[in-house]
Amino acid sequence: MEHNESGTSNSGEFLTFTLGAEEYGIDILKVQEIRGYDAVTRIANAPAFIKGVINLRGVIVPIIDLRIKFRLGEPTYDQFTVVIILNIGKRVMGAVVDGVSDVIQLSSDDLHPSPEFGSILDTRYILGLGTVENRMIIVMDIEKLMTSQEMSLVEAAAA
Amino acid sequence: MSIDMSQFYQVFFDETSEHLASMEALLLDLDVDNPSLEDLNAIFRAAHSIKGGSGTFGFTDMTGVTHVLESLLDRLRKEELPLRAEMVDAFLAAGDTLRAQLEHHQGGPEADAGEVEEICARLNQLAAGNAVAAPTPAPAVAVAAPVRRARMECDLPTAIADDPVKLANLLDGLAEIAALDVQLRPDASNPHLSLVLTTQKRDDELQELMSFYLEPDEITLSDADAVQEVYGFFDDAPGLEAVVPEIDDSFGFFEDVPGLPAAPGEASYGFFEDVPGLPAWTAPDVITDEEEAGVYGLYEDAPGKREHLTNRNIAPCDSPAAIEGQGYGIFVDAPGGLGLFDNAPGSQQFTRTSTPAATEKDPTQPPTPGRRLSDGPAVETAKAGRRDNDRTVSAANAETSIRVSVEKVDQLINLVGELVITQAMLAEAASYLDPIQAEKLLAGIELLARNTRDMQESVMSIRMLPMSMVFSRFPRVVRDLAGKLSKQVEMKTIGENTELDKGLIEKISDPLTHLVRNSLDHGIETPEKRVAAGKSPKGTLTLKASHQGGNIVIEVIDDGAGLNRARILSKAKERGLPVHDAMSDHDVWQLIFAPGFSTADVVTDVSGRGVGMDVVKRNIEGMGGRVELESSTGHGTRTVIRLPLTLAILDGMSVGVGGETFIVPITSVVESLQPSLDAIRTLAGDSRMVHIRGEYLPFVSLADAFNLPGVEDVTRGIIVVVEVEDGKAALFVDELLGQHQVVIKSLEENYRRVPGVSGATIMGDGRVALILDVTAVARMGLTGSGSHAERAA
Repeated sequence: MEHNESGTSNSGEFLTFTLGAEEYGIDILKVQEIRGYDAVTRIANAPAFIKGVINLRGVIVPIIDLRIKFRLGEPTYDQFTVVIILNIGKRVMGAVVDGVSDVIQLSSDDLHPSPEFGSILDTRYILGLGTVENRMIIVMDIEKLMTSQEMSLVEAAAA
Repeated sequence: MSIDMSQFYQVFFDETSEHLASMEALLLDLDVDNPSLEDLNAIFRAAHSIKGGSGTFGFTDMTGVTHVLESLLDRLRKEELPLRAEMVDAFLAAGDTLRAQLEHHQGGPEADAGEVEEICARLNQLAAGNAVAAPTPAPAVAVAAPVRRARMECDLPTAIADDPVKLANLLDGLAEIAALDVQLRPDASNPHLSLVLTTQKRDDELQELMSFYLEPDEITLSDADAVQEVYGFFDDAPGLEAVVPEIDDSFGFFEDVPGLPAAPGEASYGFFEDVPGLPAWTAPDVITDEEEAGVYGLYEDAPGKREHLTNRNIAPCDSPAAIEGQGYGIFVDAPGGLGLFDNAPGSQQFTRTSTPAATEKDPTQPPTPGRRLSDGPAVETAKAGRRDNDRTVSAANAETSIRVSVEKVDQLINLVGELVITQAMLAEAASYLDPIQAEKLLAGIELLARNTRDMQESVMSIRMLPMSMVFSRFPRVVRDLAGKLSKQVEMKTIGENTELDKGLIEKISDPLTHLVRNSLDHGIETPEKRVAAGKSPKGTLTLKASHQGGNIVIEVIDDGAGLNRARILSKAKERGLPVHDAMSDHDVWQLIFAPGFSTADVVTDVSGRGVGMDVVKRNIEGMGGRVELESSTGHGTRTVIRLPLTLAILDGMSVGVGGETFIVPITSVVESLQPSLDAIRTLAGDSRMVHIRGEYLPFVSLADAFNLPGVEDVTRGIIVVVEVEDGKAALFVDELLGQHQVVIKSLEENYRRVPGVSGATIMGDGRVALILDVTAVARMGLTGSGSHAERAA
């Protein structure tokens, strides 16, 4: 594997997954594990995309359905529903996606800046677009997304 | 030495805090008229340890204060000065100053320099108070103890033999347990160490002591008397002393001055010098701790100068005559000075026990003006890195306990929590098995359940600390406050060994302080009033801790005036609180928990501002506890705090709502019942009340509060009456599921605070259940975050 000299998080290995028709990539170092979808405990008065919390080996982990959040794909839950357990900062959280496809290598040279529109995802959370075998991969800054205000996963600084 | 001392700072901080705390406790217990020497010595030791430590770590400000403190204490324990109450006050103040300095070194605000000076001056003045204490020669008392003399021979590793500091440390360590006579001092060329120890320790203990340096079989121990030399005898009778008014700080300890001045009283006192002409043995470079049977001699050839001074009273001699006059005169049995130090008839073995207390209790011990040798800074340096033996008494404790960081314990508790959950899951899965076919498995699971429970209990007990941790601070609070308020108060503590979770211990201390201050300020009357009321002028404040079921009960009881019902009621009316004269006492007492409520006419700096009882109540409820008040006018007040044993585990009742499970803390559950339709009254709009035995309680549907599809028909659900902050509420749930002990998990760790939920737990089936914060839920249900949102609060 070739190391990019910049050594930033936008080079290296990425886990790709699908949400609807789009393929997304996230830094594999943020991924703790991938598991199936389990029954969650709902949390009252939380946004719809927060499915609830699960017990992950004794740790209470919130589960976010990215499909609902971005209105992509069908939010069905069966034995094929996949949860990506993420390590963001010191927090553990789970993201429900349509499917996990691959682990790819991308260097920052392969990343093109994303256009201002065209994705359901706010460009603030997009590191760039990558191409692998003619597939376009939207590389997501999962940390920024998950800690953002709109995800309301983290306690807001005020109020 | 290029050792980074900062890595040991924390140890010093911890130890010093402990020393300060024990010092304070001892001071408070001290009977001023008849102080126990043992206590004085213990206080002295604490001060001395702080001094030693602070000197080692270079916290010279603390060394300065402790030094003055120690000097005065030293005179007290030698009974040169009578203990006076103002001394205790000064000591306590010095303790506070030290604490402030310690906090400063830990990154806190700087200690007030003026205060430091003031306290030093105060101590000095007290010490100077009646400095003229005539040294009364007392007959030497030989303390009977199985003391023996052992010869130790060993070859030291060159690393030690080479380094004078390490060697001094080693010898210092030995000197702590034995009187030393170094016969052959090792150096780089010859690592052989030969010494004679006068000690109570057994061979194996000595070997163990040396094990830090050497293997036991490398040390040869033999009976020294068999090969005793003329000089090998060092008595250490408490009475033996040489009196010298002053000491030079540079004792000339480690000097290699060739040739000794003829008169030993001159500048270089010559104690530990390598004296030429005595090749067979050299003077020890050792300064022992003052508690120890240290041995110092003036090793000179001239007869008559072979005095061996005990270190506790040692001081450089002014003139040999003084020594002869003072020192020798003590040994009435000895025919002459010389006879004392060889095997001549009449020489006696004056021994002392190595138990400091035994010697120090010796009432015949004459006082010594002047400073002790170990006051010298050089001593502190020599002791660097070594624990002195001040802890002979606590040493036994130290061996049986270890310092572990709270994180490690918490991690263990977490893991055991997991184990409990896993075990519950296994048990649940196994409950579907055929008990005959899976007999062995089921038996195993049952065993696992028992072991897990035991393990959980013992792990939880690690975090448990005795209530004395909290109670111990109150004698001081009471003492200071009683003085300030000119009241006489005696404090009693009962059940201070009752154990409580560390987290709770930390949180309970503020509310308790508040209650104690309240009792002193408002409860206990002035002596005149008490006498007028026919009570003893001295009030009693009792702190009591006990277990009651799964709770710990802490009581603050005073025998003061009690709460004034009329006054509370009139104040409450003034403030427009809903009160009437026919209220029950219990309800009246509850009024004082209202925010801002104070019946005090005068706002003092002690209390009366009215902030407090509401905070006390809130704090205690935050811990999952409850406060109750009982009072009888003229006889006193009793405040009862009930707390769960731990914050990590909670007794909960599980309820089902719309397919979800919630845990209601048992402590807040009053009762549960099936409502009848006519008990539910609808008030204006949507709000509902439920009529239960004459009380109207707000009816809160959990399903509504949490937007869940719960049972709509009230007659098919269950009402759980819970106690909330401001009364009671009726929670409406679908069903009661059971009662569990649940391990509390944080929701905030990975998520955020959820309104109405205080935490989460993992149920036996592995699913997460939320633990309700009933007060918040009741409020949510009333202010309507659910379908009754339109209703005004």
